[in-house]
Amino acid sequence: MNNSDASQGKFHLSPKLIIAIIGVVILFALVMSSFFVVDQSEQSVVLRFGKYNRTVGPGLQTKLPLGIDKNFNVPTRVVQTMTFGQTSPSNLNSNFMNSPTGSSAGESIMLTGDLNIVDVQWIIQYRIEDPAKWLFEVKEKDKTIRDISQSVLNMLVGDLPILAIISSERTAIEVESQERMQTVFDSYDLGIRIVTVKLQNIVPPAGEVQDAFEDVNKAIQDMNRYINEGKQSYNKEIPRAQGEASKIIQVAEGYAAERVNNAQGDVARFNSVLEAYSSNKEITARRLYIEAMEEVLNSANTGSITLIDKTLENFLPVSQFNTVGGEK
Amino acid sequence: MKKLITTGVVILILVIIFLLLGPFFIIEEGELAVITRFGKIVNTYEDAGLKIRVPVVDNVIIYPKKILSWDGDAQRIPTKENQFIWVDTTARWRISDPSIFYQSVGSISDGILRLNDVIDSTIRTIISENYLNEAVRNSNNINNLKIEDQVQNVESLEDSEQLRNLTRTEIDQETISVGREGLSSQMLTMTSNFTAEFGIEVIDIVIRQIRYSDDLTQSVYQRMIKERNQIAEAYRSYGEGQQARWMGKTENDKKSIISEAYATSEEIKGVADAEATNIYSTSYEADPEFFVLWRNLESYRKTIPAINKILSTDMDYFNFLYSPDSLLNK
Repeated sequence: MNNSDASQGKFHLSPKLIIAIIGVVILFALVMSSFFVVDQSEQSVVLRFGKYNRTVGPGLQTKLPLGIDKNFNVPTRVVQTMTFGQTSPSNLNSNFMNSPTGSSAGESIMLTGDLNIVDVQWIIQYRIEDPAKWLFEVKEKDKTIRDISQSVLNMLVGDLPILAIISSERTAIEVESQERMQTVFDSYDLGIRIVTVKLQNIVPPAGEVQDAFEDVNKAIQDMNRYINEGKQSYNKEIPRAQGEASKIIQVAEGYAAERVNNAQGDVARFNSVLEAYSSNKEITARRLYIEAMEEVLNSANTGSITLIDKTLENFLPVSQFNTVGGEK
Repeated sequence: MKKLITTGVVILILVIIFLLLGPFFIIEEGELAVITRFGKIVNTYEDAGLKIRVPVVDNVIIYPKKILSWDGDAQRIPTKENQFIWVDTTARWRISDPSIFYQSVGSISDGILRLNDVIDSTIRTIISENYLNEAVRNSNNINNLKIEDQVQNVESLEDSEQLRNLTRTEIDQETISVGREGLSSQMLTMTSNFTAEFGIEVIDIVIRQIRYSDDLTQSVYQRMIKERNQIAEAYRSYGEGQQARWMGKTENDKKSIISEAYATSEEIKGVADAEATNIYSTSYEADPEFFVLWRNLESYRKTIPAINKILSTDMDYFNFLYSPDSLLNK
């Protein structure tokens, strides 16, 4: 210092100048530490001598300088996401506080109420609602949120049978876990509002167990296939059988119609002839007989007729030979 | 003038020295302070703000007023039925009485060590005094839930009932009397007795996770697999049964349809035959004698032409063949 004073002697540093420079520096420092910027997504908590003084909104804000007022900006508009049981990139950020025992891989494995094991992955989203509480009430906030979220989910899953967790009770778990987490966080005065709890993958443990669960779905498909095959064979046979049945009945009805019509026809003819016959029985009987014989014995209708005299003997063998010879 | 400046500078320097000695200190929100004078506690502050102390002799120890986390290692503990499970717990605590805390514990890290001893042994005691169910479940709701596999595509109500019974996995779970939250509050009560002496308030102890020990996990997996297999087989076998039933029904329906048709057709024929017979007989009745003649002649027309015939002249038809007088002789 002495050295530099000597070399810069020509500037002639008077005490006044030094005081003026110090004054300017102090003034500059005062001005600089009197303003701070709060982002649109943030609110800022101002402490005066360490004591909570006020919370201010976005924009350029003023405070008392020289560390009398201290401001802490808190992103109150930002919805923050915390994931559980998966290794997504965002997990790395929120996971830094995780204890060595609660490793990310194992945290999603839970016991169900019927003492089965299920793998539940979920996310929670929250927003800081009260920045002052958020800053000053709880120390390890991320860890606290993780711990409580895990314990609440574990407890709800532990209260239900595995099938319910996988299927029907999903939404109920989401709703109830959100309520329970909120209650616990409120009791800590953590100053956050849970926006949503979303269950993502809920699956039986990977590997053989999952395969067995999937096999049940396949079995349901198989069952339906078998039933359909049965129906198929039924549908293949029965309509045809019904057709055949109606054919049999149609044939029978045809027979019936024919039979009755024939009878009526025959009878009609008989009746008319009978009428004629009644007028002269002897003649008509003879005539009918002769007509019939004429027709019967007409060789055009009947082929050859051998007529023998009743007194002629031994004719038969001759006829026999002729017939045999003729066929040759 | 110069003397005034000198005096001013001296006063300023004295003030600076005084300030440097630190009569003021700040307690921020979320902090506690214990003031000791020659090792003796003279004051504690639990509210934030600017405070005054006697410089040099007063020592200020700042502690967090915030809620702190305690996280123990997962412990392998046997339950009352002697099943080994891993229990992972976590707790929230805060310094409730800074002066007692200062005397009996000292620092936060020592506080965590004390809590390790107390909470770990408490958890061990409570878990091993209770059955596994008490730690896993929180209520008896599970027995009020009826969870059934969705049964689709079954023929009738009885069938779906049957299938449901086959695939039901519900067995009534043992009723629990305490539950997980109950155990947590037991742990809390038990711990609080000890931690009060440390000036520590434990706010809650929660079970973060319960896991089976590794060999137990494997056998649970096996059980789950068998349970699912059993259900899958029930579905398949039901399907096959239904298929067989359809096959049988096919055979049955086919035979009954055809045989019904046969029965109907025979009946129709019978009725027709009867009607025909009636028609014939009512008509023929009028003159049985003529009927015999008529019917015979009709019949001859049909049958005789097809027969190989050797006829004798004995027939009436041939009466005039040899003797045209025969009729006259008659």
